[in-house]
Amino acid sequence: MIRIEKLEMHYRTERGQVHAVRGINVNVQPGQFYTLLGPSGCGKTSTLRCVAGLEVPTEGEVFIGDDLVFSSSKKVSIPPYKRDIGMVFQSYAIWPHMTVFENVAFPLQEMRRRYSKKQIEEKVAKALALVQLNDLGDRPAPFLSGGQQQRLALARALVKEPAVLLLDEPLSNLDAKLREETRVEMRELVKRLGITTLYVTHDQLEALTMSDVVAVMSEGRIVQEGSPIEIYQIPRERFVANFIGLANFMEGKVKTVASDGKRSGQVETSSGVLACRIPEGVSVGEKVVIVIRPEDVSLVNSSSASEENVLPARVKAVIFMGDTLECTVTIGEQELRMKLHPSSGVKEGNTVHFQIPSQYCRVLQA
Amino acid sequence: MWRYFIFILVFFFVLTPLLFLILGSFSTASLPTDFSLSTMGVVNYVKVYSDPGTIELFTNTIIYAAGSVALGISLAVSLAWLVERTNVPWKVLIYAGVPMTLAMPGMLQAMAWVLLFSPRIGFVNNVLKQLFHLEQPAINIYTLSGMISIEGLRLVPTAFLMLVPLMRSMDPALEEAAAVSGARPGSTMRKVTLRLLAPGLAAVTIYQTMSVLELFEIPGILGLPAGIYVFSTKIYSIVHSATFPPPYGQANALAMVYIVIAVVTTYFYSRMIGRTEKYTIVTGKGYRPRLIDLGKWRHVGLGFGLLYLFFSIVLPFAILLYASFLPYLQTPSWETLHTMTLKNYRMLAEFDDLTMALKNTAIMVIVTATATTLLSFSVSLVIVRSNFWGRKILDQLAFIPHAIPGMVMALAFVWLFLKIDFLPLFGTIWSITIAFTVNFLAYGTRTMNAAILQIHKELEEAAYMSGARPWRTMWRIFFPLLLPSLAGVWIWVVLLAVRVAGTPLMLAEGAQNQVLSILIWNMWDWGHIGGVAAIGTIMIIALMFLTIGVRMLGFHRRHAVQ
Repeated sequence: MIRIEKLEMHYRTERGQVHAVRGINVNVQPGQFYTLLGPSGCGKTSTLRCVAGLEVPTEGEVFIGDDLVFSSSKKVSIPPYKRDIGMVFQSYAIWPHMTVFENVAFPLQEMRRRYSKKQIEEKVAKALALVQLNDLGDRPAPFLSGGQQQRLALARALVKEPAVLLLDEPLSNLDAKLREETRVEMRELVKRLGITTLYVTHDQLEALTMSDVVAVMSEGRIVQEGSPIEIYQIPRERFVANFIGLANFMEGKVKTVASDGKRSGQVETSSGVLACRIPEGVSVGEKVVIVIRPEDVSLVNSSSASEENVLPARVKAVIFMGDTLECTVTIGEQELRMKLHPSSGVKEGNTVHFQIPSQYCRVLQA
Repeated sequence: MWRYFIFILVFFFVLTPLLFLILGSFSTASLPTDFSLSTMGVVNYVKVYSDPGTIELFTNTIIYAAGSVALGISLAVSLAWLVERTNVPWKVLIYAGVPMTLAMPGMLQAMAWVLLFSPRIGFVNNVLKQLFHLEQPAINIYTLSGMISIEGLRLVPTAFLMLVPLMRSMDPALEEAAAVSGARPGSTMRKVTLRLLAPGLAAVTIYQTMSVLELFEIPGILGLPAGIYVFSTKIYSIVHSATFPPPYGQANALAMVYIVIAVVTTYFYSRMIGRTEKYTIVTGKGYRPRLIDLGKWRHVGLGFGLLYLFFSIVLPFAILLYASFLPYLQTPSWETLHTMTLKNYRMLAEFDDLTMALKNTAIMVIVTATATTLLSFSVSLVIVRSNFWGRKILDQLAFIPHAIPGMVMALAFVWLFLKIDFLPLFGTIWSITIAFTVNFLAYGTRTMNAAILQIHKELEEAAYMSGARPWRTMWRIFFPLLLPSLAGVWIWVVLLAVRVAGTPLMLAEGAQNQVLSILIWNMWDWGHIGGVAAIGTIMIIALMFLTIGVRMLGFHRRHAVQ
C-alpha cells in the first residue's frame, strides 16, 4: 500500500548539509501497521514526511496504493494536498480558531467531490464517535484536554477515509498513564478500520505493542525490519539489541559449531565457555558478541554448577524496583545486569550461581 | 516568482533613498534636481562640521537624549516593578492607564505644557507670578530641561510595555534559590534579579535612545522657538531655512552622523536582543512571581503611578480641553468659566483647511496602514516560511528603516522625489504615504515575523494533509489565525501615522497636501491656540478609542497561540 524505494533525502541547515535519509526501502502491505522506530535524528520523521509530501526527497520513489506520488527520475512530485492520506501530527495541530466540529469537517470541505451539509454532518458525527468525542462538536478546539485533542486529530485524519494513515509520534505529548491506554485503543481502532498505517516513534514499547512490522532506523538507514517478536528476540545488530529493551553484551570467540543443522556451538568468553546458537555465516575462530537480556537470566543452586551455561558471580548492587530486583553482578571483569523476582532474597556481596539457557544467548558478529 | 518581486520592492524602497542621501551629501549642486556625479565634493561636510554651532548641536543632542532616556526608563522601571512585583493596590489602573498615554500625540502634549509653563502665557507661571509677585517667570518650558522632562514622560509607555513581560517572565525560583542559598533580599536583588534583567533593560534603553533621536515633535515645539537645536530639528530647519534654495546637501552631511550612530546602536541592539533571548529560554514563561509586600508604602506606590498618569495624560488633556472652550487664552479662574464658548468648535466646522486635512489624513493613513500591513505580511512570510535564498538579507533590509530616524529617512525621500520629478510625487500626500510605509516596515515585519512564528508549522501542514490547496490554507488557516496580528499592525500604524509630524512636515508642500499634524503645527505657528486645542481634543479622544482597540486585540491574541 505504501512503497518507498531507494529514498534519499538531504536538507540544508545553518550548520551545513544533513543527509537525513540514506537509501531506504519500505513496503507496507494493505492493512498493515508499520512502525519506523529509532532515536531522534535517525531520519524516521523525514521518511514519514516524504510520504506525506511535506518534504521533497532528493532521490527515490514513493508509491501510495498504485499511485506514484514521487519519483526523482520521472520528475513526479504530487503535492501533499492531492495525496490520499490522513495524518496526525506530534503537536496534534488542532486549529485553535475552529470548533471541534469545524476541525473534523475541514478535510471534507476541501475535497474535490462536494458533500452536502447533511452528509458532512453525518460523516463528522461518525468520525467523532469513533474516537468518543460525540458530544463535544460545538466546543472550541482549544478547550479540549491533551488526550481529547489527540483523539480529535485522529478523527480529523480519518474522516475522509484515506488510503493511508500517517502518525508522527502521536502519543509523545500524553502523560504516561494515558499513553498506555491510548496505545491499545489506537491499535484496535486502526485495525478495526483496516487502514494501512505508517507510524513513527522513538518509544520502543509503542513500537512493540502496536505494530505488525517494526523497522529500526539509525543514521538514515533501516537497520532491521521484522515483527516485534523478531526484533526483540533476534536482534541482528548491537544497535538494535541496545535500543530495544535492556541488553548485556559479552565479547568472545567462536570455539565450536556443530554441523547438526541447529548450529549449536560454543563461544569462549573471558568469563567462561557458553553454549549458544551460532547464526549462519559465522565460523569457528570468529569474534562475536553475545546478547543476553536481563530477564532471561535465572538463579540456580550452587549444586548445579556443572550444568550448561551456569556461571558463578558476585552481587555488586541490588535495586528494588517493586515488581523486580534489578541486580548488577560481576563475573571476573564482566558486569551483567539481571532481573530477579523480589522473593529471591539476593543481597549485595553475595556469591551466587546463575544460568543463561543457550537459546537466549544470541550471537552477533562483532 | 512573487518572492523576487517582494525582495526587489523592499530592496528598491529601502536602499534607493539611502543611496540618494549619501550621494546628496557630496553634491555641490544647489538643488537635488541638478544633482549629477560630476558635481561632487566635500563642501557640505566642511561647511557643516566647521560650524561652531555643530558642537553645541552635538552637546545638546547628547544631553537631551541621555536625560530623557534616563528619566523615561527609571519611571518605566519603577512602574513596571510596582505592578509586577509588589502588592500595590489598583494595579489595573496603571496597567490600563500607562498604554493610554500613547493616544496623546507628542506635539499636542508639548503644546499643552507650553500653555502651562511658557514664560509669557503659561498658566502656572502666571498664577505663581501673581501669588509671589515674581518679576521673572518661575519655570521656562522652552529649555533643554523642559524638553527632557516632557520627552522623558513620553518614553514611559513603550518602555513599560517592553519591561512588563520581562519582569513577568522571571522565574521566582531563581530568586528563591538565591534566598535559600543564604542571600539577603538586598543581595538577591543585586546579584540575581538585576543581573537577569540587565540584558533586557539594556536592550530597552538602546531602543528608547533610538526613538529619542528620531522624535521631532517635542524638540520641534519646545526647542525651535528658543533656538535650541537637536539633530532632528536641525535637519528640519536646514531644509526649511529662509535662504533659497535650502542647503539640502548640508542636511545630508549632518544626517551622516545620524546614520553612523544608528548603525552602531542597531548593532549593539541586535546583539543585546540575542542575549536577552538566551536568558528568556532559561527563565521560561508563565510564572507568578512572589509579590513584595510594600506595607504602608503601597499607597505611596499607587500615588506615584497616579501622579505619572496625571502629568502625562490627565493634565495635558484637561488643559487642551479647557483651552478649546475659551474665546481667547486666559489663565483659569472663576471668571473664565463664564466666558466659555463653543466658538472654536463651530469655527472648525466651517474651516475648509481642516476638511481638506482630514480628507488627506484619512487617505494617507488608511493607505499607509493597509500597504504596511500587506507588505509586512508578505515580507515576513518569505522570511519565516520560505527557503528563499535572500530571506536573511530581506530581514536585514526590512529592519534598516527602524535604525534610521524618520527625519533622516524623510530627507532621503525628499532627494528621491526631487530627483525622480518625472513622477509628480514630491510634496503630495503620496510622498508621505510612501515614506511612512517604508518607515513602519521595520515595525510591521518584526510583529508579523513573531506572529507567523507563533503559528505552529504543523497547523499549516495539517491543512495540506486534509487536502487543502495552498491558497485555501492561506484563507482558512493562516488568515484567521493572523487576523488579530494583522489588525493590530494596521491600527498601530494608523496611530503612528496620525501622530508623527516630522515626516509630513519634511515632505508635504502646499495647503492642498496638508495632513492633520501639519495643520496643527501651522495653526500653532499662527497663534490659533483655541483651534489647535479643539482639534487636539477631538483627535485625542479618537486616538484613545484606537488605542483601546489595539489593547483588546492584544488580549485576544493569546487564544491564537498554539
